[in-house]
Amino acid sequence: MPQPISAQPTLYPAGPPGSAARLRGRRCAACGYVFFPPQDFGCERCGAAADQLVPAELKGTGTLLACVTVYFHPLQEPTTPFTVASILLDDGPAIRSLLVGAGETEAQCLEPGLRMQAVLTPAGTDSEGTEIVELRFAPAGPGTRDVG
Amino acid sequence: MSADLSDLRPVHVVGIGLHPYRRGSETPYVDLGLTAVREALADAGMAWADVESSFVGNVNLGFASGRVMLRHLGATGIPMAQVENASASGSTAFAQACLDVASGIREVSLALGVDKPALPDLAPTKTGIRDLTASRLLPVAHFALLADEYMHRYGHRAEDLAAVAVKNHHNGALNPNAQRRRTRTLDEVMGEAPLAGVLTRLQCCPIGEGAAAAIVASDDAIDRLALDPARAVRVLASVTRTERVYAAGHDHDAALTAETGALAFGQAGISPQEIDVLEVHDAFSIEELLYIEALGLCDPGTAPLRLSQGAWEIGGECAVSPSGGLLAMGHPIGPTGVGQIVEITRQLRGEAAPRQHPGSRIGLAHMVGVGAVCVIHILAAR
Repeated sequence: MPQPISAQPTLYPAGPPGSAARLRGRRCAACGYVFFPPQDFGCERCGAAADQLVPAELKGTGTLLACVTVYFHPLQEPTTPFTVASILLDDGPAIRSLLVGAGETEAQCLEPGLRMQAVLTPAGTDSEGTEIVELRFAPAGPGTRDVG
Repeated sequence: MSADLSDLRPVHVVGIGLHPYRRGSETPYVDLGLTAVREALADAGMAWADVESSFVGNVNLGFASGRVMLRHLGATGIPMAQVENASASGSTAFAQACLDVASGIREVSLALGVDKPALPDLAPTKTGIRDLTASRLLPVAHFALLADEYMHRYGHRAEDLAAVAVKNHHNGALNPNAQRRRTRTLDEVMGEAPLAGVLTRLQCCPIGEGAAAAIVASDDAIDRLALDPARAVRVLASVTRTERVYAAGHDHDAALTAETGALAFGQAGISPQEIDVLEVHDAFSIEELLYIEALGLCDPGTAPLRLSQGAWEIGGECAVSPSGGLLAMGHPIGPTGVGQIVEITRQLRGEAAPRQHPGSRIGLAHMVGVGAVCVIHILAAR
């Protein structure tokens, strides 16, 4: 059985479905700015060029800032309704991500402040039958509140 | 040494014109644009030959849209350029026209916004930078997320956001140039299925076609062309800013508006509380509340309460989106920022009946655009 592959390998590495995910960010060696998604054009904060931008693995843990269900979406995928969230990662950046299971049912929206965890979810197979995993977020635990 | 508008000679809006905003049609954009320019020339009481430069804001027409349209006014040979700055394209065309006159290079300049609806061709999707939500997050989802955060932070309800749309549709119903000209009850606004989060269709702006024109002139030109100085409206401030890196998790649209607004108020030498008429980028209902607060018209979180007390209505403390705003007048993109100038000029002249805000002396026009950019102008009656 071959290893699963990442749906977006530049953004996160693959792993077994259901496992916790990490994100592939960058850290600017010149000013310390940590950012996601990764890019090597230059640091948005200080302007340092690619030679100063080093890969930084970001933990997939964070705090929910906001969360909404999207009912109208003219593009091909995902099918509506789906739920998207703003999450402040413990490692710095604020990101937007889909939530687990949100493509299938109208997910219940969650309260800001909730602890969140990135997980790898099954996303079909490629043309050779290899399993694809996609990063989504889910609550880290029932009712877990961020008191920090 | 750098300078801003307050260091340069006075510049005034002397002529305004519109082609009504409406759903896309087969009418060539040339018709739309010429309608607005001819109306602005007639309004100013001048001839096309008096205009010394022109800036045409649009995003969807393709390159070289300006002269092939404006030549039908008589090919006078004046400098022309197209201006693209996302939703703020018209605002930036106006800023360029103001600087052309204030700097002393021209006496009279035209800002024209004209556009047709089209599938957007967005450079930000071509940067090569991929994101987790790639093609999945439309503006409505972005602003629905900001709405969710705002409601949780201050304990506001979906009705508090929908009330913005009720007010702006009421104003739009009084504006013959608006794309949406029907009053809507709170039940009507909230009765439709949401597109994302709590944002229903009537809390999202329609994107159609139209045109808006503003002619600006120096004091010398007003004298020489014998224009009516009582109908001239002074441009007190013109500020354009772009997004910086703000603290992670903060609303960058509001942060950008706050810092652009602070510079504009400083340039004009006025306080936010002195604004009588405000046109903001209310592409979604939540935005109007966020920008009213970011500009400092009231404390954070209190805009919905003030709305419910009538503070933002025509006749209230400050008329916000008296044209109907993007929500009801519409957002044809290129024209929108110039259309705000048209509305504010009409209000400051006292010519905006039946939606005249009494005693209008100072107005502010605010647009943001994808990127993000923010453009603010402050205008004052003579």
